[in-house]
Amino acid sequence: MTGATELHTEEKREITLRVHRFNPQVDSKPYFDDYTIQVEKGITVLRSLNYIKEHVDASVSFRAFCQAGICGSCGMRINGISKLACTTQVWDELSKCKEPGVIKIEPLRNMPLIKDLIVDMDPLVDKMKHYSNWIVSSMPEPEMGQKEFLVSEEEFQKYEKATDCILCASCVSECTILRAHKEYVSPAVLLKSYRMNVDSRDAIHDTRLGELVKDHGVWDCTHCYRCQETCVKHIPIMEAIHGIREDAIEVRGAKDTSGAKHAEAFMEDIEKKGKLVEATLPIRTNGMAWTLQNLLPMAMKMIMKRRTPPPPLLVKPIKGIKKFREMFREMTEHVKAEQKSHKK
Amino acid sequence: MKPFDIVIVGGGGAGLYAAMEAMKTNPSLNIAVLSKVYPNRSHTSAAQGGANAALANKAKDDTVELHIFDTIKGSDYLADQDAVDILCSEAPKIIRELDNIGTPWSRLDDNTIAQRPFGGAGRPRCCYCADKTGHTILQTLYEQCLKKGVFFFNEYFVLNLSVNDSRMKGLVAMNIKTGKIEAFPARTVVFATGGYAKMYWNRSSNAAGNTGDGQAIAYRAGIPLKDMEFVQFHPTGLRKSGLLVTEGARGEGGYLVNMDGERFMSRYAPEKMELGPRDLVARSIETEILQGRGFDSPAGKYVHLDLTHLGADLIKSRLPQIREMSMYFEGVDPIEEPIPVRPTAHYSMGGIDTDNDGRTVMDGVYAAGECACVSVHGANRLGGNSLLDILVFGRIAGRTAAEEARKFEPAPITADEISQTEAMLRSYMRPSGHFERYGTLREELGQTLGMNVGIFREASKIRKGVQDLKDLQERFTHVRVFDTGDVYNTNLLQVLELKNMLDLAETVAEGALAREESRGSHTRTDFPQRDDGKWHKHTLATLEGGSVKLGEKPVTMGRYELQERTY
Ligand SMILES: Cc1cc2nc3c(=O)[nH]c(=O)nc-3n(C[C@H](O)[C@H](O)[C@H](O)COP(=O)(O)OP(=O)(O)OC[C@H]3O[C@@H](n4cnc5c(N)ncnc54)[C@H](O)[C@@H]3O)c2cc1C
Ligand code: SF4
Ligand code: SF4
Ligand code: FES
Repeated sequence: MTGATELHTEEKREITLRVHRFNPQVDSKPYFDDYTIQVEKGITVLRSLNYIKEHVDASVSFRAFCQAGICGSCGMRINGISKLACTTQVWDELSKCKEPGVIKIEPLRNMPLIKDLIVDMDPLVDKMKHYSNWIVSSMPEPEMGQKEFLVSEEEFQKYEKATDCILCASCVSECTILRAHKEYVSPAVLLKSYRMNVDSRDAIHDTRLGELVKDHGVWDCTHCYRCQETCVKHIPIMEAIHGIREDAIEVRGAKDTSGAKHAEAFMEDIEKKGKLVEATLPIRTNGMAWTLQNLLPMAMKMIMKRRTPPPPLLVKPIKGIKKFREMFREMTEHVKAEQKSHKK
Repeated sequence: MKPFDIVIVGGGGAGLYAAMEAMKTNPSLNIAVLSKVYPNRSHTSAAQGGANAALANKAKDDTVELHIFDTIKGSDYLADQDAVDILCSEAPKIIRELDNIGTPWSRLDDNTIAQRPFGGAGRPRCCYCADKTGHTILQTLYEQCLKKGVFFFNEYFVLNLSVNDSRMKGLVAMNIKTGKIEAFPARTVVFATGGYAKMYWNRSSNAAGNTGDGQAIAYRAGIPLKDMEFVQFHPTGLRKSGLLVTEGARGEGGYLVNMDGERFMSRYAPEKMELGPRDLVARSIETEILQGRGFDSPAGKYVHLDLTHLGADLIKSRLPQIREMSMYFEGVDPIEEPIPVRPTAHYSMGGIDTDNDGRTVMDGVYAAGECACVSVHGANRLGGNSLLDILVFGRIAGRTAAEEARKFEPAPITADEISQTEAMLRSYMRPSGHFERYGTLREELGQTLGMNVGIFREASKIRKGVQDLKDLQERFTHVRVFDTGDVYNTNLLQVLELKNMLDLAETVAEGALAREESRGSHTRTDFPQRDDGKWHKHTLATLEGGSVKLGEKPVTMGRYELQERTY
């Protein structure tokens, strides 16, 4: 219990915020400004920025609204990681600084820069529209408002976590594929699409899925897990991505023309993780024989093109795995041999 | 620009519902939504608790009638009873409709929409989605608007109504991304800009942008504001930011403790202790602070909300959000240390005076949501009734505007009007005569309101507040916008928001001074009783000759006679 005699002094420190600056009206390229200020313990990065804006340099520009981690406005990169400025304690960042006492503040990546720490959110909204990130109700319009859908706890749990998303775009900023392909659907949009597709009240599941398996869609994801590691609401985004893939194979199966995409995803798994992630593989649903026949040859072609031999493979034993491993080893040897002959 | 049939200002729950309903009412109309933040960022997202509706899923004996009674009683009999009737009768329908279009309501064992008890309600009728009800409602509405192809002008800051001889012609707004001032000629305008409780600044649970822009714009255009003196305080806001620590912390057994280590609620509510009604707990904490038994810090005076005795396990399992909040925003882990708290301005009952269909006194201008005052909340809003209000009356205002839009002929907004506005904004950037920092003025605004027009009010203090506001208005004429750029000039926006808060603060203070009684959230220590003889009426604030002129409006009765409000 705190007594009356407690001295109410608070710990204070001098810190520097190194802030990304860019004003399109005057600057040809971005630069950094250093602001050194006194802060007390318990202060967030957003409050420090506010302090700078109010007392040091009014032109520093950033978005913030709720200041409570719920509106998603204040996503920015703090010491290299995309997160919310309003829920990030300065004290916690001090241990993560490259240069002692200097916290680096940059705008989110993978979205067009507007000014200083502000990026354009419109491309993300456009993608939400493209992938129909809304429910088309299976209730006829005249009956609306008269009765409720009955939804089981089990179904609710399928999308409960996904509805936590505040569209802060931190995951978008960290996504590896987006850096190369701006058209890529984006993790947040995959998450939202998944949330719609597992909702029994929705009537356009197949249309949405049809869009998701096209180019720039769900099969382009490299499974790097960056989005999930970054998510400010700790949403298991990868479960959504796996969910859509499984669903696609289940519903669209082998007849799907995006077989090549399957193979790509499959290769990506091997290259990034050195193992197969079962959920992304059609093995379970289509069987080993199908996978060997359809995917492995395609994957092999891809490997030949890239000339990067995959790391040794780890898979949980499944029926037919022996044959699979054998073919895989052969394929790897082949690529290695090719490479050697090239070097000569 | 081609005139719009309807321009909706605000993309929160009220604005989005209005847009959906207007499109449904007449699909051939040309409708736009302007919002200073992306709609999904609006403050509706902050509502955690839920929305009331007598669905009778949880308590089978709940009825619309009981909901009406609770609301009227909660309002301390200042709500208009016909409006409350609409609110509560429409509630079950609108909650189901939200379910039908995808709101992820939590569920009961029989798979129906879940409901829980909430303050001031006789039955568990608050429908919720975990602790993110407002967030999920806002998401659903935004999704549906995207689906319907609502025309959004995101990050547009509305500056003023264009009015000629009391004939509304449309709006003037700034495109925040370019800084360009643009005209939005319109047959009708619907204000849905949210509340004004942020004028208490660091002593407010509201988002930074809840600065009452719509109310201030309407007020400056001559439209009356109703019951502005009623501002609801929540007992436990975080010391530094004013952010809300929900009732949950006290519900699980948290103690409120003063500087002497005393659980002071024993002196105010010996039986209920920390679980007394919101306004009583808020007044008790404030009294402790005023009488010198609070802690002091650079960020202001406060008391302790102590959870340490509950133990790490309970805190982690039952109060994870509250723990996260105090760690994020105060840097305090409630397992180890008490949370510093004090009352925080939370909700604005007052707003733009409208009739039950959302009309204001000016032809073609409508309002809904927290920025409007119908009035369904009277002197005190019940928890869970505000989300309901924005949905029900957002929809009604959208429908009325759609039905009436074609009645009004559009008129052009002249290039002159635009250049005048531009010149006005530029003038803030001139160095000569402009030296005040908006941050300082805003800080002082929050302080004087908190001290003089806060939880406890009395004539001498309010007069001091009124004087401070006059001084602040004077100093505001010297305010300086230091950022002279066009693109995303947040410095300029904050100055404009400050002006809106200053203008509205005067109506709050004048209303508080005039109302010589205590009712609902309005507590006059010099007039501690409710005075139905003199004050069972609404106040109306209009701008005349640069200052607040107060008028009045009767309260619509009909169902329930005046009674003493006891719980
Ligand atoms: C912490 C907290 C918890 C709450 N919990 C509950 C609860 O559990 N239950 C309940 O019923 N109520 C609750 N409330 C109250 C409720 O959330 C609000 O009253 C309600 O969401 C207001 O909705 P709105 O649509 O009127 O306005 P808002 O959601 O505030 O939207 C206002 C919109 O207007 C726009 N805008 C404002 N000014 C301008 C301008 N100048 N130009 C252009 N656009 C502008 C904004 O961009 C925004 O889109 C809570 C409030 C708070 C602060
Ligand atoms: S796992 Fe996929 S969506 Fe997530 S960051 Fe990596 S590539 Fe992007
Ligand atoms: S998924 Fe997580 S990180 Fe991505 S936008 Fe949503 S809340 Fe932000
Ligand atoms: S300001 Fe809303 S999430 Fe940070």
